[in-house]
Amino acid sequence: MDRFVTIWHYRVSHTDLVRFWVIASLAISSTFVTALALARNVDTIYPQLFYFPILYASYFYPRRGIYVAGACTVAYEALSYYHSFPNLLGMGYATGQGILFICVGAAVSYFTDKIKTSEARYRSIFEYSPIGIVLFDQNTFAITLANDQFGAMLGYTAEELVKTPFSHLFFNRDEQRRFYERFGSSEEIVDFETRLATRGSEPFYVNLSWSRLNGNLVSCSVIDVNTRTQGKEAAEDHAARYRQVTESSPTGIVIIQNMQIIYTNPSFTTFSGYARDDLIGRELSAFVHADDATDFQGYLKQAETHPLPPGKTEFRFLTKTGETKLATLFSTMIKQGGKPALLINIVDISEREKLKDQIEQDSERRRGVISTVAHELRTPLQPIMGYLNLLMQDPKGFGLTDETKNILDRCLQSVDRERQIINQMLEFSVLDSGKTDLDYSTFSLSALLKNIIETGGYMMKADIAIEIPLDVTFEADQNKIYVVINSMLSNAVNYSKPPRRIKIIYRSSSSDTHHRLAIQDNGVGITGTQLDAIFEPFQLADSEKLSRKYDRIGLSLSIAKKYIQMHGGYISVDSIVSVGSTFTIHIPKIRPKEVVKDGT
Amino acid sequence: MVVEDDQPILELMEILLRRLGYEPILVMNGLEALEEVKKSPPELILLDIMMTPINGWEILEKLRGEYGQKDLPVLLFTAAPMVQKEVAKLNDPALGILQKPVSFAELSAALQKFLSR
Repeated sequence: MDRFVTIWHYRVSHTDLVRFWVIASLAISSTFVTALALARNVDTIYPQLFYFPILYASYFYPRRGIYVAGACTVAYEALSYYHSFPNLLGMGYATGQGILFICVGAAVSYFTDKIKTSEARYRSIFEYSPIGIVLFDQNTFAITLANDQFGAMLGYTAEELVKTPFSHLFFNRDEQRRFYERFGSSEEIVDFETRLATRGSEPFYVNLSWSRLNGNLVSCSVIDVNTRTQGKEAAEDHAARYRQVTESSPTGIVIIQNMQIIYTNPSFTTFSGYARDDLIGRELSAFVHADDATDFQGYLKQAETHPLPPGKTEFRFLTKTGETKLATLFSTMIKQGGKPALLINIVDISEREKLKDQIEQDSERRRGVISTVAHELRTPLQPIMGYLNLLMQDPKGFGLTDETKNILDRCLQSVDRERQIINQMLEFSVLDSGKTDLDYSTFSLSALLKNIIETGGYMMKADIAIEIPLDVTFEADQNKIYVVINSMLSNAVNYSKPPRRIKIIYRSSSSDTHHRLAIQDNGVGITGTQLDAIFEPFQLADSEKLSRKYDRIGLSLSIAKKYIQMHGGYISVDSIVSVGSTFTIHIPKIRPKEVVKDGT
Repeated sequence: MVVEDDQPILELMEILLRRLGYEPILVMNGLEALEEVKKSPPELILLDIMMTPINGWEILEKLRGEYGQKDLPVLLFTAAPMVQKEVAKLNDPALGILQKPVSFAELSAALQKFLSR
C-alpha cells in the first residue's frame, strides 16, 4: 500500500517521509520557541514542547527515537547553558530536563518495541500457524477474524468466513447443541471434539480449544483431526463388524497363536462347556479326545499351509462335563497383533450324528411296525382264502351254481392280489433296511424267460415275440432277476389292451459292458412326468391320473428297481402315450466287486 | 399235527386236511404239542410261530433237541416276515415254510413233498 522513494541509497516510504518532516518541524519549532523564550526571558512551559517530537519519533521508530531525544536534549542544553551561565541553579535545572528527555524517549521506545514485537509474534502465529484460528463475538458468534488454515479446512477463504456466525459451521444440530452447552459452561475449553460442516456439507472432525479475550471476543483454535478420526472410525467399524460376526457365529471359532488359544467365541464356550477364561492361554489339543490327539497335532501342522488340509478334519472333543462331541474343522491363517495366527472354525456335527441315529432308529421302528402289521393282515386272510379254496375245490359237492362259482372266483382273485401286495410291501421294507443279500449264480437267460412265461401263463394273455440268443448267460441272483422280469411282463400285459403284442429283445454286443434286456409293449404308455413316479413306492396314491391307469403296479417296480440297483445296474424307460412303453434292464456282465448292498 | 393258536385257522386246517385225506391232530399251544409228540409223534407238524407261552422257534428247538425228533418234517406255518432267512440259516432238510395265507394247492403240494421224503 505504501509507495516508496529512493533517497541516496535508502528506500524510504512516503509515510516515513511525512513522519520525518513532522518530527523535524516539531523539533526545530520547539528549538526556536525555546530560544525565543530564553532570549526574552519569558518563563513559560517551553521545555515540554520537546516531548512532542520525542514521543512521536519514539512511538513510530523506537530505536531511532532515542537519537531524536538525544538531538533535542543537545539543542535544549545548548540554549539553556548559553542563557543561564554562570547561574548554576539554572544549568542544573536544564541538565535535569535533558536527562528526562532521554529517559522518556528510551521508555517509550522500549515499550512500543515490546508491543510491536508481541503484536508481530501474534500476527505470525495467526497467519502461519498450522492450526486454524478464529476469533468470534461471544454474543452473536459472528466471526471477526479467521486465518487461512481454518478456511482451508472447511473449503472457504478466510475473508468469506468473516461475519458468518461461528455456530452455523457445525455439522448438525446435535453438534451445535453440544457446543452451546460447553460454551456456556466455562470460560476456557480445551480439546472439545466435534464435527464442523465443510462447504460441501461433509462432516469434518476438529478439536476446538477456546478462551475469551478482552471484551466480547473469543479466540478459538481449531485442530484438524478429520483424517485421524475417520481412519480410526473406519478401523473401529471394521473391528466391530468382525467382532460381531465372530461373536454371534453359530459355529465355534478359536484363534490360536504359538499353539495357545488367544480368542474363543461364545459358540465354542457353549460347545466345550468351558468358560472363556478356562480356554484362553491353553492349548486347543488339551480339549481334543485322547484317541484323536495325534491326528489333531498333524492337522494343526498342515492347517498352517492348507486351508483344507488333506486327511482327517473331524475330531472328537471332550467337553467339561465329560461328553464327547464330534466336530469338523476349517481353518484360515490370519494376522493377530501383527503375528500369524490360526483361526479355526469348529462345526459341531454331533447333533447331526445324533439325528442320523435317531432317523435310523425311527426307520427301524417303522420297519418293525410294517412287519407286525403285515403279520396281522395276513393271518385273517388265511381262513378267507382257505374256505374259498375249499368251495372252489368241489363246487358241485357244495351245491354251487356256475354263477356263484364265478363270484367266488373273483373273491379269490382279490384275496390273492391282497396277499401279493402285502408280500411286496414286506419285501420292500426288508430291502429298505438293507438286510437283503444277493445269491449269485450263472444261468441261461432264455431258460429263465421260458420258465417265467410258462409259470405266469403269459402266452395265453399276449402275443410274445422273443429275440434272445440262446447262449446268453447272466451272472446274477436268479430269483431276483426272475421277480424283475416277471413284474415287467406282468405290467406289459396289465397295461395294454388286446391285441397285446410284447417283444422281449436282448440288445447288447459282445463288447458292451452291460446286458441290456428290453421289454416292449403296445400299452397305454406313460407321460414324462409319470416316468419318475412309477418307480417310487406308494407314489401312485398321490398321482390320481397315474393311479387310475396303473392301479395295479403297487410296489413291484420299486422292488425291481432296487433289485437291479443291487446288481449294480439300472432300469430305463422309453414311452410314448397310447403307443407303448419299453422297459430296459441294464445289468453289468461282470459281477461288480463292490455292489451297493443296501440297494439305495 | 397242526399247532395253531388262532381258532378260525385251526378249524379251517382241520377241514382242508381232512379233505386232502389226512387225520389231523389239533393243538392250540406249544406245551400241548410237545406233550402229544412225547405220547406219539405225528407224521408231520404244521407249526405256527407267533404263539404263547412258547413260540414256534422254541418248540422246534426242543423237538430237534431234547425230543430227539431230528427227521420229523416241520412246516413253519406263519404270517411273520423274514422267516426265509432264519430257515436258511438252520440248514435243516426236514424244515419248510408255508407262508400264510396259503392256498389249497400250495398246502397240498407242500404236504406231499415233505411226507414223501
